[in-house]
Amino acid sequence: MTASKALMTASTNARRTALLVPCLLLAACTTTTEKQDGICTADPTITTDCNGTADGGAPQNLGLTGYSCTGTARPDQGAVYIEGVPQGIICANQIPPTDGGAPASPQNYCCTNATTPCAYDPVAACDPGTYAYQCLDINRPESYNPTIRCGQGVRATNYVDYCCSGTGLPAGCGEQDGLAGCVPGLVGWQCPITGTQHTLPKGQDLMSNKSRADQYYLLCSIPQVAPSGKVDTFCCYPPASVPPGGSCIEDVYVSNCNPLTQFGFACTGPETPEADYPPIVCPNPGTRGTSMEGYPATLYCCNFVNDSH
Amino acid sequence: MAGDPTNGCADLDAKYLPPEPTLPQTPTDPTCVLQATHQTTDSNWLPDETNLDTSAINMALGRCPVVKLVANGTNNAFVSGPISMAGVTLWIDAGVTLYASRDPNQYSNEPAGTPSDCGQPGVNDSAACKNFISVNGGASPAIVGDGIIDGQGGEPLIGHDYSWWQLSSALAMIDGSIGNPTLINLSSGVTGFLMYRITLHNSPKFHVKITSTPAGGVTAACTPGAGFIVWGVTILTPSRWLNSQGLLMSPHLSRNTDGIDPGETSFAACGVLAHNTISTGDDHIAIKGGHGVSNIYVAHNHFGTGHGMSIGSETYGGVNGLTVCDLTIDADSRPVGQGASPGDFNGIRVKSDSSRGGLVDNVVFRNVCMRDVNNAILISTAYNPLFSGTLIPNFKSLSFKDIHGVTCMAKQVGVVTLNGFSVLYPAGPITLDNVIVDNLGPLGVEAQFSSVVTGPGPVGFSGYIAGQDVTVTQLPVDNSVAPINCVFPTLPAPQPPAGWLR
Repeated sequence: MTASKALMTASTNARRTALLVPCLLLAACTTTTEKQDGICTADPTITTDCNGTADGGAPQNLGLTGYSCTGTARPDQGAVYIEGVPQGIICANQIPPTDGGAPASPQNYCCTNATTPCAYDPVAACDPGTYAYQCLDINRPESYNPTIRCGQGVRATNYVDYCCSGTGLPAGCGEQDGLAGCVPGLVGWQCPITGTQHTLPKGQDLMSNKSRADQYYLLCSIPQVAPSGKVDTFCCYPPASVPPGGSCIEDVYVSNCNPLTQFGFACTGPETPEADYPPIVCPNPGTRGTSMEGYPATLYCCNFVNDSH
Repeated sequence: MAGDPTNGCADLDAKYLPPEPTLPQTPTDPTCVLQATHQTTDSNWLPDETNLDTSAINMALGRCPVVKLVANGTNNAFVSGPISMAGVTLWIDAGVTLYASRDPNQYSNEPAGTPSDCGQPGVNDSAACKNFISVNGGASPAIVGDGIIDGQGGEPLIGHDYSWWQLSSALAMIDGSIGNPTLINLSSGVTGFLMYRITLHNSPKFHVKITSTPAGGVTAACTPGAGFIVWGVTILTPSRWLNSQGLLMSPHLSRNTDGIDPGETSFAACGVLAHNTISTGDDHIAIKGGHGVSNIYVAHNHFGTGHGMSIGSETYGGVNGLTVCDLTIDADSRPVGQGASPGDFNGIRVKSDSSRGGLVDNVVFRNVCMRDVNNAILISTAYNPLFSGTLIPNFKSLSFKDIHGVTCMAKQVGVVTLNGFSVLYPAGPITLDNVIVDNLGPLGVEAQFSSVVTGPGPVGFSGYIAGQDVTVTQLPVDNSVAPINCVFPTLPAPQPPAGWLR
C-alpha cells in the first residue's frame, strides 16, 4: 500500500506507536494513545489548487495531493520510522489558524504524494499556528513540498526538527542595534507578542547578510514589554553550547527578574545556570517553581557578566 | 595533455587569460625602500615584537606609490600590526618575511583604552579584530614580490598561551565565528587589484578577501583581469609541522583559513586567478556570491589540502560566469595530522541553502584532476539545512567536462552529489562530459531535483544518477574519449622535524 493510499482515508486513530521513537526523545511526551476525532479525504479540487500557480498560470506538477480534514485529523499522521529513517508525507495547511492560534477546522492540506524522509511530530514545541516535522539529516521539508514554509531547524542527533506552516510563519523578530538598556556584549532584539506568548529571537530572523554561523542560537534576557503590549524587547547573546547533561533552560517567564538586564532560567537538574551558560552569573540561589513547559524546576534570575575583557 | 602547456585550456586562455603581470621598478626614492629590522631563522622563527614596524610601513604606504621591503644583512623580517594601503603597491622582496604581530591589542576595533573582544576566547564576534592588511579603495593597488606574508595563526598570542587558531577551534562545536584578523582584505571601491608571486602563510582566518572591479565599472563584456588578477601566488597553511610550543600543526586546526575569496566583502568582477598553489584549512578558493560575482577565470592552479574549489555558500547576490580550467586538487599532498575530518579534502563544490541562496549560472569546470578527495563533485542546496529563509538556491547551467577523480589504491573514493532545492528550483542543466571518478559505486552518487545531461564523453557513474525529480538526458556516448591523464605536481609542504615519519 502506498503512503498516499494509506492516507486517503487517514485513520483518526493515528498510529501513535510509530511515533514512539521521537517521542522518547522528548521529556514532555506521553505514550498514551490520544483519541482523535475527524477524518481526512482526498479532494481533487484541492489537488488542482495545490499544484496550481499563484498567478493563475498553467498548473505545475508539484507532486501534491489535496485533502480536506475535519476535527483534529491530519493526512500526515501515519509517519513511521524504519531503521531510524523517518517515512512520512509532508502537508501544508491551507487555512490560517484563528486569531488565538487554534487550528482551523475543517482544514485543507496540500501533501506530498510520495513518502519523504520527514515525519510529522505531534509533540514538538512550536509557535502557535505552526506544526513540526522531524527530518533525516539534510532534508528540509520545503524541498519536498514547495507550498510549505519552515523555520530554523533544531538538530537532534541525526534528525532535524522544523516548525512549519502552509500559511506563512508567524511574524519574526528584528535586531535592534544600540537598544538602550543592553550592557556591552549584548544585542537588542524586538519581537511581537502573540496572545500572551513571548516570541524569542531566532537565527532565522537575521538578515541574509548577517552571519548565521555567529549567532543562529541566541540566549535572551527577560523581555521588557512595550507600552503597547504588542512587542517585547530583549538583550541577547550567542552562547556556547550547553555541556552534555545540562538541564538549565532559558525561561522568559521567571518572575521577579529585571527586564533586559537579567536572564531567567529553569533548571531541572542539580546544576546552576552558571555551569551551563558562562558568562552568566546568578547572584541569588534559585527558588522552587515550575518551568514554562510545566515541570518542577529551580528558577533563577541571572546576570550577563562580560568578563572576557 | 602531454605536450600541451595549456593542459587543454588553449581556447579559454586565448579568450580569458591576460599576459603575465610584471614586477614594478624598484623605487628611486630610497625612503620608499624599507630595510628589514628583524631576524628569523629556520630554528628560531618567532620574531621579536618589542619594536614593531607598523608606523614605518604605513607611513611609507601613505606617500610612496611603491613600497619595497628588502633584507638588510642578516635582518630578513618585518613585524607589524594592521597595515592600510590605497592605490599603491606593497612589494616584499625575495628572502623577506612580513610577519603579522601576534599581539591582539594591535588589532582592537575599539577606541584606545576600551576593552576589545579581539583575541578573547569564547567570544563569538566575527568583527572583533581589524584586518592585517586593509586595501582601502584606490585604483590598481598591488601586493607583489617573492617574499612571504606570515599571519602566525598557529603561534601563541602575546600575553597568552593560545593561538588565533585555537581561539577559532574552540568555537567549532557551536559553528561559531571568531573575530580573528583577515590577512588581506579589500574594501569596496578597489579597482584593478593585483597580487603577484607573493607567498602567504598561516593566516589567523581568511587569507585574502577580494572586492575589486574594473576601473570603468562592471560591464557584461569586461576585459578579463581588468577587475583583479591573482597570479603565481602560493598559500601554504600551516607552513610548519610544529609550532614554537611543540604543538602539531594541521590543516584541520587552521579553521576558517580560506585561501582566496572573491566577493566576500562586496562585488568582484572580471577577475583572473592563475598559476596559484594553495593548501590550507578551508576552501582553497571560494566564490562568494553575497553581493554579486561575475566573469571570473580560474586557470592553471594546483591545490593541496583544503575544502575545495567552491562557490558559496552565499549566492544571494548571484554568481554568473565562472570558468575553471586546468586544476589539480591533491588531498595526498601532505600529512594532515590528528583530527582531520572528511571536509578537509574536498574537490569541486557549489553550495548554498535557503537562508543565503540565489542564482548561480554559466559555470564551467574543465580539465580538473582530483586525488583522494571526499566530495569529488558536490552540488548542494542544503549546505546548512538548519537555516531557514526565502533565499532559495537557484543553480542553473553547471558544466563539467574532462574531470577525473583518482584514488590511491582505492582507499578514498570521492562521492558525487547533484542536488537542486525542489521541483520549483531544480538544479540544471548539469552537463557531464567525460567525467570519471574512479571506483565510484551506486552508493556514492546522490541526486534529487536536478536535470542532468551526460555525454558525449563517458560519464563513469551515469547509470547511478537517479532520485526524486531527476531527469537524465544521455547523449550518444563517444567511447573513443579517454579519461584525462592526471599528473599531480609536488606541492609545497611543511617538512617534518627529525625523527618524524611521513
